[in-house]
Amino acid sequence: MPAHLLTLSGVTRHFGGVQAVDQVSLEIETGTIFGLIGPNGAGKTTLVNLITGYVALQSGRIELEGQPIGGRAPHQIASLGVARTFQTIRLYKQLTALANVLVGMHSRRKHDTLQQLGLLPVFRRGQLQRVAEARQLLSRVGLEPERFQNRRAMTLSYGDQRRLEIARALALGPRLLLLDEPAAGMNPAEKDRIRELIEELNAEGLTILLIDHDMRLVMGVCRQLAVLNFGRRIALGTPAEVSADPAVVTAYLGTQAGEEGATAAPGAAGPELEAPVGAALRVADPTESVHPTDAPAAMLQVRELRVGYGAVEAVKGVTFSVDKGEVVALIGANGAGKSTILNALSGVLRPHSGSAVFDGLDLGTAPTHRIVSHGLIQVPEGREVLARQTVRENLALGAWSRRDGRAVAREIEELMERFEILGKRRNLAAGQLSGGEQQILAIARGLLGKPRLLLLDEPSLGLAPQTVDLVFGVIEQIHAAGTTILLVEQNALRALEVAGRAYVVETGRILLTGTGEALRQDPAVRKAYLGG
Amino acid sequence: MAQQLLNAIFIGSIYALFAVGYTLVFGILDVLNLAHSAVFMLGAVITYSLVVIHAQPFFVAAAGGILASAALGLVVEYAALRPLRRRQAPQISALISTIGLALVFVSIVEQSKPGSPLAWLWRDGANSVRFPADRVPNATYHVAGLTLEASKLAILVVSILLMLSLGYVMRYTQVGRALRAVAENPRAARLLGIQVDRIFALTLALSSALGGLAGILFGVALSDVSPYIGRDQVELKGLAVIVLGGMGSIPGAVLGGYALGLIEAIAFIRFGSNVEAGVAFLALFLMLVVRPQGLFGARLRERL
Amino acid sequence: MDFFLQLFSDPVGFYQSHELLIAQIGINSLLAISIFVTLFSGQLTLANVGFMAVGAYTTVILSLHASTPLVFNIALGALLAGALGVVVGLPVLRLRGVFLAIATLGFGEALRFGVILNLPITGQGQGLKNPDADPLGGVVPILVALALVAYLVWRLGSSKLGQAWAAIREDELAASSQGINVPLYKMSAFVVGALIAGLAGGLESHINFFVDPTEYGTTRAIQVLTFAVVGGISNVLGPILGATILTSLPEVVRQAQDYRDVINGVILILIIVFRPQGVLGGGGLALIRPRWWPRQWTLTRARTPADA
Repeated sequence: MPAHLLTLSGVTRHFGGVQAVDQVSLEIETGTIFGLIGPNGAGKTTLVNLITGYVALQSGRIELEGQPIGGRAPHQIASLGVARTFQTIRLYKQLTALANVLVGMHSRRKHDTLQQLGLLPVFRRGQLQRVAEARQLLSRVGLEPERFQNRRAMTLSYGDQRRLEIARALALGPRLLLLDEPAAGMNPAEKDRIRELIEELNAEGLTILLIDHDMRLVMGVCRQLAVLNFGRRIALGTPAEVSADPAVVTAYLGTQAGEEGATAAPGAAGPELEAPVGAALRVADPTESVHPTDAPAAMLQVRELRVGYGAVEAVKGVTFSVDKGEVVALIGANGAGKSTILNALSGVLRPHSGSAVFDGLDLGTAPTHRIVSHGLIQVPEGREVLARQTVRENLALGAWSRRDGRAVAREIEELMERFEILGKRRNLAAGQLSGGEQQILAIARGLLGKPRLLLLDEPSLGLAPQTVDLVFGVIEQIHAAGTTILLVEQNALRALEVAGRAYVVETGRILLTGTGEALRQDPAVRKAYLGG
Repeated sequence: MAQQLLNAIFIGSIYALFAVGYTLVFGILDVLNLAHSAVFMLGAVITYSLVVIHAQPFFVAAAGGILASAALGLVVEYAALRPLRRRQAPQISALISTIGLALVFVSIVEQSKPGSPLAWLWRDGANSVRFPADRVPNATYHVAGLTLEASKLAILVVSILLMLSLGYVMRYTQVGRALRAVAENPRAARLLGIQVDRIFALTLALSSALGGLAGILFGVALSDVSPYIGRDQVELKGLAVIVLGGMGSIPGAVLGGYALGLIEAIAFIRFGSNVEAGVAFLALFLMLVVRPQGLFGARLRERL
Repeated sequence: MDFFLQLFSDPVGFYQSHELLIAQIGINSLLAISIFVTLFSGQLTLANVGFMAVGAYTTVILSLHASTPLVFNIALGALLAGALGVVVGLPVLRLRGVFLAIATLGFGEALRFGVILNLPITGQGQGLKNPDADPLGGVVPILVALALVAYLVWRLGSSKLGQAWAAIREDELAASSQGINVPLYKMSAFVVGALIAGLAGGLESHINFFVDPTEYGTTRAIQVLTFAVVGGISNVLGPILGATILTSLPEVVRQAQDYRDVINGVILILIIVFRPQGVLGGGGLALIRPRWWPRQWTLTRARTPADA
C-alpha cells in the first residue's frame, strides 16, 4: 500500500477570470489528519469539490492510492471510499436520523429491491443488520440511538446535525474523510467534542482531511497543514511551522499600507509594546456598555443584541456604539458573527433580543427601506453590484430612496469624476469590472443614498493587496469628507489602521475593545485569528 | 400564402403580448404564473360583459378590462404567491398554487349563467360568444389582394407600441432599473432600500394588465370569447413562446411570439391543421431538450 | 349524506350502485401513484397522462387488430409506456424544477397532437371505439391492480431503490456524496411512473367503450398532480387518499357538482399554502389523532426502514 492515500499534483480550476485553485500539489499520508486552512475565498471548498468530483478539474492530477480519480462523477469517487461533509449542512432534512445514516450505506448495499418486495422476515435480515450498524454509528458520533434515531434530521440541534452528517459520511465505510468546517458555528464545548471525535476516528485508522476556520481546532488535531490563499498553496508543514510562517500571518491578518508581511505581524512587535498600550485596552464585559465615554448621544447604540438563523445563534449578545464622525471597526475571524450583526442592523435579519437604535429609529422592527431612507446604508459583503446593469445604472439605483433627481444626477457625475475608474467605465456592465472596481462601485453606490452611517462589510474580501490599498484609500477619503463608518473586516491590521476604535468579535461575542492603535499592538488579536 | 403570413404576424403579436407578461413574472419573481392564461381570459370576458351586459362603449370597456386584469394580478400575488414566499416554499409550489387559482377563475366563469350570482360578469356559461359587430369598430380594408381588418391592424400597432414602451421603461427609468435589480439580486435590491414585495406586486399587476389586454385583442380579432380561450389557446403556447425566447427574457418573448406565429403558419401550410395545433408543443419540448436557455440565450436562473 | 349513510349501512348495495365511481377512483389512484413515484424522487413530471394514452391505445388497438388476451394487451401497453419513458427520460431528466415540468407537459401534448391525432391506426381526432369494453367486469381487475401496485410501491420505499429516491428528493448533491448515481435513479423513478401510468391507461380503456384523445390533455395531467399534492407524498396512501377524496367529492356533495373545479382549485391553494405536506403528510393525522392512540400506529411518524 502506498504511503500516500491522496496525491494532488498541479490541480487547477478557475471560474471565469478567478483562479479559485491554482497549481495546488499536496500529498496526504495514510492515517494522518491533514488540515487545510486559509482566509475566506482562498479556494479551500473548491479544492474539496475538486477532490470529490463536484467541480470538474481543468488541469492537474488527483490520485487515490495511485489511481487517478480526476474527472470521475461524485458518486463514483464516493464509492471508492471518499466521504465528505458539507460546509453548509446538507442532511436529508425530512428523513430520520437513522434513515440518513442508512442512505449513507448505499454504495455498500446489495441491490435488494426484489427481496424487499417479499413479505417474509427472512428477506429482511440484511436490513436488520444495517439498522444495527447505523445505530452503532449514531452512538459512535455521540447521538444516542434511542433518543435520536427516529427524529427527523431537521429537528436536531445544530451541533447534533453536524455530528449526524459525520455519521452519515462514516456509513460509507470511507478510506478518506473530508470534513468541511465541521466546527463552524459551534460553541467551545461542542467544538471540544468534535475534536475528540476527530481524534478517535483517526486513532481507529481513518485518514482525515480537515478544513476549518477555528485555528485552535486545526492546530490542535492536525499533523500536517497546508495553507491556501488566492487559490495557491502558500505554506505546508506542521502546525508549529505553519503558524510561524510570515506568509501565513500576512494572509490572515493582512498587511499594513507600505509594509511587507512579516514586519506587520503583531506578534513580532508584541512583547515590548504590550505593557504601554495595555492601559488603553479593556476586556469587554457584555453587561456594561463598552463605549469608552458612554455618550448618550451615540449615533448608533446597540445593546445586548442576539441574532441567529433558525436554531443557531450567531450573535450572542453584543453591545457597542458608534458616534457621529467616527470610523469604528468590528474585526474577527470568519464566522465570528460580524456580518450577522450588520444584517441585523439593516433589517435583513431580525434580532432575537436586545436593541439597536440608530438616531431614534428602532432597527429591530423598522423595515429595511425605512432604515435606508433614515440614512443607514450597508455596502454588503461580496459587493453585490448588479452585474447585468451598467455602472451608471448601479449608481442611479443607489439613490432609489431619494426624490431629488436633479441633485442625484449631479452627484453621480461628481462621483464619476472623483473615482476615475467608474467614470471611464460608466456604460459597462458592472459584472465586467474587476473585484476592486466593483468594490469602489458598491461604496459609491452606497454614498448616493446619502448615508449618515455607512456599513462596510468586508470591503477587502478577495482583493489583491494593491487593490486593498486602493479601497482603503477610498474609505479614508469618504471618512475625511464627513461620513461615519462602521467597518467589518477580516483584514484586521488594515481595518485597525483606519479605525478610531474597534471591537474584536469572536464566536458571536465582543472579546476586546480599544482604540485602533492599541489593538494593533495587542497579541490577543493575533491569538483570536491564529489560535496562538 | 401572403395572407397566411399576415395572419401569422397578427397571432404572433397576441402570443408576444401574452408571453411578455408571463416572462416578466418569471424573470422577476422566479415563478411560473400559470394563472396568467386565466387572467387573459378574464380580460376578454370582463370587457365583453361591460360592452354587452353593461352597455359601455368599447374603449371604456377595454380600459375596465385592463384595470380588472391588473387587479386580478394582485389577487394572484396576494393569494397564491406571497404566502408561499413567506414560507420560503420551493419554487414548484407556486406553480401548483397558480394552477389552483386558474382552475377557480375558469370554472367561476364557466358556471355563470343567467340567474346565477355572477350573471353580471358572464351569462354564457361554457359557450363561446363574439363581440357584437356594431359595437366594436372593425373596418375591413383590401390592399393588394390582402384582407386587412382594422382590429388586426390595431393589434399589431398596440402590441408593438406597448412592447416598445415596456422596453423603454425597463431600460431607462428608475422603476425599470429597480425591476431588473430585483430580478437579478433581491437581496442587494433590498439593501438599496427597494421594497421588494412592492416590486413583486407591481410586476404582477403590470404583467396581468398586459395579459388581459392580449385577451381583449384576441377576443375581438378572433371573434371568440369563452371561459376556455386562455387555457386552450394560449396557456401552453405562451409557455412555448417564452421557452423559445429564453425564460425571463422580454425581447426573447416578443421574438418568440412572432417565431411561434410563423412556425404555426408554416406547419399549417405544409401539413394541415392537426399538425399546426401540435407544433407549439413539439417546439417547446425540443427547445427544452436541446437548448433550455432559449434561442436568445437568457441565462437560466433556476434555483437548485 | 346519503352517500355515507349507504356506504356504512349497506356496503354491498353501495358497491353495486357506485361501481363505476369505484372503478374511476381506482384508475385515478393508480395515476396518482404513478406521479407519486416521480415526486417521491423529487421530480415534478407531468408526462404521466401521455404514458397513460400509450397504455390505453396499445390495449385497444391490440384487441381490435390481434386476438391476444386482454392481460397480454394491457401488460404490453404498460411495457411500451415504460420503454417510451426511457426514450423521453434520457434528454428530459437533465432538466430541473419548472423546466422539467414544462418539458414533460410539452411531451404529453406533442404526443397527443403530433402522433395520436395524425395516425390512422389511432383513429386520429375521432378516437377509437372499443367494442370489447366491459365496464362492470373491469372494476375488480382495477382494484386488484391498485392493491398490487400500492403494495409494491410501499415496499419499494424501504429498498435500496426507494432509499436512493428519497435521498435524491431531499438533497441531490448530498446523495451523490453517498455514492448514489443520481441520473440513473431519477430515470428509474421516471420509468416506474411510466409503467404504472401505462397500466392505468390499459385498465381504463377496458371499462370505456371509447378511447377519446381529449382525455389525455393537460387538464387531466394537472388533475392527477392535484390528487398527489392534496393527499400528500410522504407515503403511498397519500395519493390514493387524494384521488379518492377528489374523485368522490362531486358524488358526495351533489350541489357541488357544478362548482367542482372551484372547489378543487380552492382545496389545491389551501393545501399548498397551509399544508404543503398534503392531507396525509407527516403530522397530518396528528391533528385528529385521539390521545389514547399509540404513536407508533399512526401514519404520521416519519417512516423509517426500521419499521420494516
